[in-house]
Amino acid sequence: MISAQNVTKRFTEPVEFTVLDDISLDVAQGEFVVLVGPSGSGKTTLMYALSTLDTIYDGAIRIDGTDIRSLSKNQLATFRNTMIGFVFQFHYLLQDFTVLENVMLPAQRLGIWTEEEMEERAMQKLTLLGVADQASKKSNRLSGGQQQRVAIARALINEPKILFGDEPTGNLDSKNTSIVLDILQELKQEFKQTILMVTHDTAFAERADRIVSIRDGRIVPTT
Amino acid sequence: MKSPFAQRPLLRIAWVHLFSKKRQTLVAMLGVMFGVTVFIFQAGLLTGLQNYFIEKTVNTTAHVHVYNEVRTGRPHVLARYIDTNSRWIAVRNQKPRDEERKVKNGNQIIREIEKDPRVEGVAPFLGLQGIYRFGMSQQAGTLAGVDILREDQLFKVKDNLIAGDMLRMETMPNGIILGAGLADKLGASVDNTVIVISSKGVSLDMKVVGISKTGITLQDNTRAYISLRNAQRLLQQSGTYITDINVRLRDVDQAEAVAKEYQERYGYKAEDWKASNANVFGIFRIQNLTVTFVIISILVVSGFGIFNILMTIIYEKMPDIAILKAMGYRDRDISQVFLIESLAIGSTGGLLGLLLGFIASKIVGMIPLNIQGFVSVQYLVINFNPLFYLAAFAFALVSTTVAGYFPARKAARFDPVEIIRSR
Repeated sequence: MISAQNVTKRFTEPVEFTVLDDISLDVAQGEFVVLVGPSGSGKTTLMYALSTLDTIYDGAIRIDGTDIRSLSKNQLATFRNTMIGFVFQFHYLLQDFTVLENVMLPAQRLGIWTEEEMEERAMQKLTLLGVADQASKKSNRLSGGQQQRVAIARALINEPKILFGDEPTGNLDSKNTSIVLDILQELKQEFKQTILMVTHDTAFAERADRIVSIRDGRIVPTT
Repeated sequence: MKSPFAQRPLLRIAWVHLFSKKRQTLVAMLGVMFGVTVFIFQAGLLTGLQNYFIEKTVNTTAHVHVYNEVRTGRPHVLARYIDTNSRWIAVRNQKPRDEERKVKNGNQIIREIEKDPRVEGVAPFLGLQGIYRFGMSQQAGTLAGVDILREDQLFKVKDNLIAGDMLRMETMPNGIILGAGLADKLGASVDNTVIVISSKGVSLDMKVVGISKTGITLQDNTRAYISLRNAQRLLQQSGTYITDINVRLRDVDQAEAVAKEYQERYGYKAEDWKASNANVFGIFRIQNLTVTFVIISILVVSGFGIFNILMTIIYEKMPDIAILKAMGYRDRDISQVFLIESLAIGSTGGLLGLLLGFIASKIVGMIPLNIQGFVSVQYLVINFNPLFYLAAFAFALVSTTVAGYFPARKAARFDPVEIIRSR
């Protein structure tokens, strides 16, 4: 599903610094992979490169066979819209929009379903994440755990091939963390969802199929 | 779906942004509104007055004015025989030649012009400087020697009379019609006898048969009509002596062409009404420039208001922009959101401005003012040309789009990774 070959990324400012040093990595369809490592190791940088948000690096990244850097800016946007879902540490829900509206935003950009279909799909995802009863509330009225679950529903609405996460449980208490982890597990098991997450939460890492450790921009054997 | 814009998330986002900043949005809108109001009001007022003046001018000055242009300066007589490039010559105290202002064959030219199908009326004219005396009061002014019936055909003399009877000019050998301001200064009224003295030293007793008010202050304050014959007597000239021929055309816009034609045909200077009033049109141009400048400044200022609010929104909504980009919204979608916002402010403010400008113009047009200036008017004449409304609205849209363009472009260029990682 994801194939990274010899990905190298250097910063020259303020001092010359290699963030990613010749990284090669393959993620299979339906695999749940977590990237771990100390802060500054380059794991988040790698995630942004793998998820198409960052396209400035040497080497090649293919998703589903497509070379990311062969796409134009607009094609990249469409590619993200159809293939990729994001969950960040912060939920990034639009304030003053209802939960339902927030979840529907990627579908509206996609524009292949009718309004009713979009709504139905959004409700389906919200049900899956156990927050369907919050659908008509303004997103800023929800608790942190609920907001993060809505963000996951939004990431899933266009049936993406890959779900990317950047510390998705970083802002949550242990109870909500375990809810989110259960959901991710369920997604993997029941829907064969490919998942790639960055975390430094060991409990999180233990639930994954594979742990990739990054240190100083290189993949190191997991200890 | 309850939301009216659900199909169009960009509109919905723009809407939510503006509503989250109600006060600033309102201020930006008021800025545009004010600019448009001033545009409508100023343009209407100014062109209204100008059009009024032009209309008055068209009715009170000749469309084509034929006269003998006397050039008083002339080259030294010696210069004809001596090459002045190689030699200095000096002739002291050379006087202007006694060149006559007379239009020769004036009556014949009038008869000929009369046959021109483009011409509505022709009138002879003999202008001279004079002094009016009435008892102890004395005023300098200009005298217009005219054929009153022909003059009336051209300049609606009868309509402008506020006292007296024009036809008495025909029936009385020494009738005079005074301008209203002049009559006022002299203290003369109808049936009084005033003394008129010319530069030749001839004085005549004239009986006031009418008082005329054209609305053009300068004319009303200095001018009087007398008969052609009396004017000739004041200048000690024969009965064929006239200095000017005034022509009124059926179509004012032909004046320039007709003037050119007559000048070539008769060999006398022929001037159209625009050239005769060139100084006034020059003032109009300066006025228009000033007002245009004021209007542009206001719209530029309101543009800054819009720029300001959009920049505030953009920095506040950076996370929204980042997530929209991450979920696949394109750069163009993002910039559209902010362009929609600026257009919404511009069009709403613009429409309100049109309405307010219209109301302000209507109200001001109803207030009696009695201005005595360039022209005297009772009410401000306001031009309600729909073109102004169109132009003002277009201007509002253009200036707000320009003001919105830069923030919109900035928002579109944000790097989502930078925004997300910096949190």
